[in-house]
Amino acid sequence: MRFEDFLRFSLGTFRSHRLRTVLTATGIAVGIAAVILLTSIGAGIHRFVIAEFTQFGTHLIEINPGKAKTHGAAVGMFGIVRPLTIEDARALARAPDVEAVVPVVQGNAEARANARTRRTAVLGVGEAFPRVFRYRVAMGQFLPADDEATARPLAVLGSKLRTELYGDRNPLGSRIRVGNARFVVVGVMEAKGQMLGFDLDDVVYVPAARSLELFNRESLMAIDVSYRAEAPLSRVVAGLERILRQRHARDDFTVTPQQQMLETLGSVLDVLTFAVGALGGISLLVGGVGILTISTIAVSERTTEVGLLRALGARRAQVMALFLGEAMLLAALGGAAGLALGAGLGQALRLALPALPVHTPWNFVALAEAAAIGIGLAAGLMPARRAALLDPVEALRAE
Amino acid sequence: MRAGDLLGFAVNSLAAHRARSALMVLAMAIGVAAVVVLTALGEAARSYVVSQFSALGSHLLIVFPGRTETSGTFPGALTGATPRELTLDDALALSRRPAVRRVAPLTIGSATVSWARRSREVAVLGSTSEFVEIRRFVMAQGRFLPSLDPRRAQPVVVLGSLVRNELFGAANAVGEWVRIGERRYRVVGVLASQGQSLGFNTDELVILPVASAQALFNQAGLLRILVEARSREEIAGAKAAVIDVLRTRHEGEQDVTVVTQDALLATFDRILRALTLAVGGIAAISLAVAGILIMNVMLIAVSQRTREIGLLKALGAAPGGIRTIFLTEAVLLSATGAAAGLALGEAGTAVLGKLYPVLSVAAPAWASVAALATALTTGIVFSALPARRAARLDPVVALYRR
Amino acid sequence: MIELAGIERMFVVGGQQVHALRNFDLRIADGEYVAVMGPSGSGKSTLLNLIGLLDRPSAGQYRLDGRDVIGLSDEEQARVRSRKMGFVFQVFHLVPRLTAAENVALPMVLAGIAPAERRQRVEKALAAFGLTDRAAHRPDQLSGGQRQRVAIARATVMGPAVILADEPTGNLDRATGEEVMAILDRLNAQGVTVILVTHDAQIGAHARRQLRMLDGALVSDTAAEAMTA
Repeated sequence: MRFEDFLRFSLGTFRSHRLRTVLTATGIAVGIAAVILLTSIGAGIHRFVIAEFTQFGTHLIEINPGKAKTHGAAVGMFGIVRPLTIEDARALARAPDVEAVVPVVQGNAEARANARTRRTAVLGVGEAFPRVFRYRVAMGQFLPADDEATARPLAVLGSKLRTELYGDRNPLGSRIRVGNARFVVVGVMEAKGQMLGFDLDDVVYVPAARSLELFNRESLMAIDVSYRAEAPLSRVVAGLERILRQRHARDDFTVTPQQQMLETLGSVLDVLTFAVGALGGISLLVGGVGILTISTIAVSERTTEVGLLRALGARRAQVMALFLGEAMLLAALGGAAGLALGAGLGQALRLALPALPVHTPWNFVALAEAAAIGIGLAAGLMPARRAALLDPVEALRAE
Repeated sequence: MRAGDLLGFAVNSLAAHRARSALMVLAMAIGVAAVVVLTALGEAARSYVVSQFSALGSHLLIVFPGRTETSGTFPGALTGATPRELTLDDALALSRRPAVRRVAPLTIGSATVSWARRSREVAVLGSTSEFVEIRRFVMAQGRFLPSLDPRRAQPVVVLGSLVRNELFGAANAVGEWVRIGERRYRVVGVLASQGQSLGFNTDELVILPVASAQALFNQAGLLRILVEARSREEIAGAKAAVIDVLRTRHEGEQDVTVVTQDALLATFDRILRALTLAVGGIAAISLAVAGILIMNVMLIAVSQRTREIGLLKALGAAPGGIRTIFLTEAVLLSATGAAAGLALGEAGTAVLGKLYPVLSVAAPAWASVAALATALTTGIVFSALPARRAARLDPVVALYRR
Repeated sequence: MIELAGIERMFVVGGQQVHALRNFDLRIADGEYVAVMGPSGSGKSTLLNLIGLLDRPSAGQYRLDGRDVIGLSDEEQARVRSRKMGFVFQVFHLVPRLTAAENVALPMVLAGIAPAERRQRVEKALAAFGLTDRAAHRPDQLSGGQRQRVAIARATVMGPAVILADEPTGNLDRATGEEVMAILDRLNAQGVTVILVTHDAQIGAHARRQLRMLDGALVSDTAAEAMTA
C-alpha cells in the first residue's frame, strides 16, 4: 500500500467517526499541552534565574573565609578563626589572568541624610566593583581608586536609597551618616531592580576598610575576582589558591567560581523542569489509555472490514500496519494540537502575567511530539495485532 | 426504575464490554492514584517541615540583628553585619522580662577541632545551658553546658555525634580535652544523633559556652537570640517586650528584626500547601483526560446501542429514564476507577513510606476526598452529552436502523 | 378505543419530502383484531408507530380512550406506552446480553415494579409461552420462534390493552410463524386489542378486520365494507 493511499484511507476513517476522532485526539492534546505548558514555565524560570545571576558576569570567582565542607560557605560569614583581609584581596590582584578584585563586606545600618533616615543595606567594596559586577553609575562617579586601607570616607547611593533620602534633590557632595560614620556622597548607581527578594537599589556603597570599622569586624565576607574570559578557569583558581595558601599557611578559605555555581544551579533547574514535565506526562499516559480503548473498539466494530480487506488480498502485516498507522496518526494529530495549545497557553500566560517567565523549550516540544507518536504506537499495538490475527472467514460472517 | 435495577442494568452492560470498561477504569485509576500519591508527598514534605519547626520548641521568637525597610523580604535574607550588634548583655536583659521563660544567645562560626592526630572542620555554635531545652536536644553521654554565668568563658565543649565518632572512634570522649582553633576545651557531653534539622546537621556541630565562642572568634556580637515565651498567649507580649527592651538598650533605634516561630512556620506552611495543591492540580488534569475518554466511549456505546435504546423507549422508558441509565453507567465506571485509583495510590504511598521512612507519607483525607469527588464529577459531566444524546434518540429511527 | 382523525405524516428523506400518511382516519375499538396490509413503503409501520406513540403525526388528531395523546410530553407518552402498549417486532429486538427471563422482566424493571412481584409475573409469562426451561438462556442460545415468543411474553407482561405487532412472522419459517400467530389469536381471544402489520395475506387472514394501505392512504377496510354491505 502506498503511503498516500494509507493516509487517505486513515483520514477517511477519521472523517466517518469525526466526534470520536476529535475526542481521542483531545485526550492526547491535553496531555501534550500540559507537558509543554509546564516545561515552558520550568524552562522560563530556568532562564530567568540564570539571567539573574549572569547579569553580574560569568567570569567571576568568589572567595569566602572558612573551608566549606558540607554546608557551603555561609557559616564563615559570621565567625572564623582566620580572617580574610583587605591585604589578601590586594595580593590576589597579582594572580595570573585576574582583571580586577573587589573586597566585599555586607551589612545593615541606618542611613541618615537630608534630615531623613532609612535602614538600608551597606556594601563595603572597592573601586573595581562596577567593573566586576557590571554596574553602571548614573550620576557622579563610583568610589575612587584610593589605597584600600586608608580610603577616604566617600559613599555612593543605590537609586532607591537616593529617592528615599533625597527625593529629586541632587545628593552629590552632600553628607550622609551611615551608622555612626560620616561619608560624602560622590555618586548614584543606575537602578538594578530586585533579585530573589533582595532590593539591589536599597543600598549604600562605602569603601571596604571603612565598613570593617563601621561594623567593628576583622574579616571581609568575600573577595570577588573577575578574570580574563579566555583564561582557563582551573588555571585561574589554582593561581588564587596558591597565593592565599602562601599567605594563610593553610586551606581556610573557599573558592567558588560563578560558572560552577551556574552549572549546579542549571542542572538543578533542569531536573525541576523535567520533573514538572513528567507530572504533565501522567495526563499523556491517560491519553494513551484512551487511544488503546478506542482502537480496541474500532477493531471489533470493523471486523467485517478486516475480513473484506483480507479477502481482497491484504496480508496480515498490512492489516496490522493499517491499524497501527491509524493509532499513530491519531496520536500525532492530537500531539500537534496539544503543542499548539500548550505553546499558545504559554504565550497567553506571558502576556497575562509578565512577571512569570515562560519559555517554550523546542527540544521538549520535539520530545513531546515523539512521545505522543510513541504512545500511539504502544497503544495501537495490541488492537492492531488482534485485527491482524482475525480469521477472514469468521470476520466476514460477523455482523 | 428502582436504584437496584438501575445498578444491575449498568453493571450488566459494562460487563458486556469487559475490555473497554477495564481500560476506562484504568484511565480513571491512574489519574486518581497520581493525585493521591503526589499530594501525599507534598503533605509529607509539609508535615516534615512543620515537625522540624516544632522540634525547635514552641512559643519561640527569633531575634535577628538588623532590619530592612524594603518590603517583601524574607527574614532569612537578612545577612551581614550591623554597626550595633546584638550582645550577650542584650540577651541577659531579655531574660529578665516576665513574658520570657528562656533565652538562648547564639553565635556561630567555623573552626578546626582536633583530638590526638585527628582533626576536622566543624561549625561551632556558642550558646548557653538553656539552648538544650529550647531546641529539645537529647544527650547521648555526659551533660550539656553548665548553667553558670554565661559571661564566663569556660573551656568546655559539647560534641555532635558525628564529630565525636570521627575524632574519637571507639574511644571515650567525655572528659577528654580537644583543641578548637588555638584553644583547648574539655568535652562535657555528646549530643544524641538528631539528624538534619532545617538543613543544618546537628551531628556535625560542636557547642561552646557563648562567651568562649566569642573569645575564640574574637567578636562581641551574636548571630541571633532565641527567646521562648512563657505560653502561647504571651508570644505577642514577649515580642513587644523584646522590641521595647532592645530599643531602649540601643539608644531608641529599632535595629533588630523579631520573627515569631509561628509566623515563620505559617510562611512555610503556606508555601508548601500551595505547592501540594499545584502538584495535585497538575495530576488532576489527567482526570479530565480520563473524563474525555469516558465521554468518547459512552458516545460510541450510545451509537452501538441505538436499537436497545429504541426498544427501551418502546417498552415505556421515558427520556429521563434513558439518561439516568447512561449516567449510572458513567458514574459506576468513574467510581470504580476512583476506588481502584485510591487503592493504587495508597499502595504507592505505602511503598514511598517504606523507601523514605523520614517522611511520614500519607495522603491527606481532603486529597482522597477531592480526587474521588473530581473523578465522579468528571464522569458525570463528561457523560452528560452522551446521555442526553441517548435520551433524545428518535425511537422509530433507533428501532428500524440496520 | 383508538381514534385517528386527519392524520398526516411527512418525512424528509435525502432532501425529498415523503408523504407517509395522508389524511388518515381510523377507529379501532377495544378487543378488535386488525391486520394492516399493503406493499412495503405504503405507511403500515408508520401507522403502527403512531398508534404506539413512538412517533408523532405532522398533523391530525389521536385520541386514546377518549384522551388526546398527541399533546402529551415525552415522559407522559412513555408512561402510556408502558401501561397500555405492547410491541412485537420482526427482528425481535431482544437485548443480547440479557437472559430470556431478564428480557421479559425489562418493562417491569423500567416501570419500577418490585423484584418479588416481577419474578412471579415473569415465571407466569414464560410458562404461558412454554419458555420455562429457556429462562436462563441468552437470545443467541434460542431459536427464532423461541425468540419471538420471548418478545411476545415481554410485550404482554405489563398486561397491555393493545399489542402492536410489526411483521411478527417476517423472520420465521411458516410453521413457526403459525405458532406465533396462534399465540396472538389467543391473546385477542382474552380481550387484548391486536394490531398486526403484515404483507402476507395468509397471516393477515387471522385478523377479523383487514385494512389495506397504499401510498399512505387507506384503500380498503373490511369493517367499513361490512357496514356498507
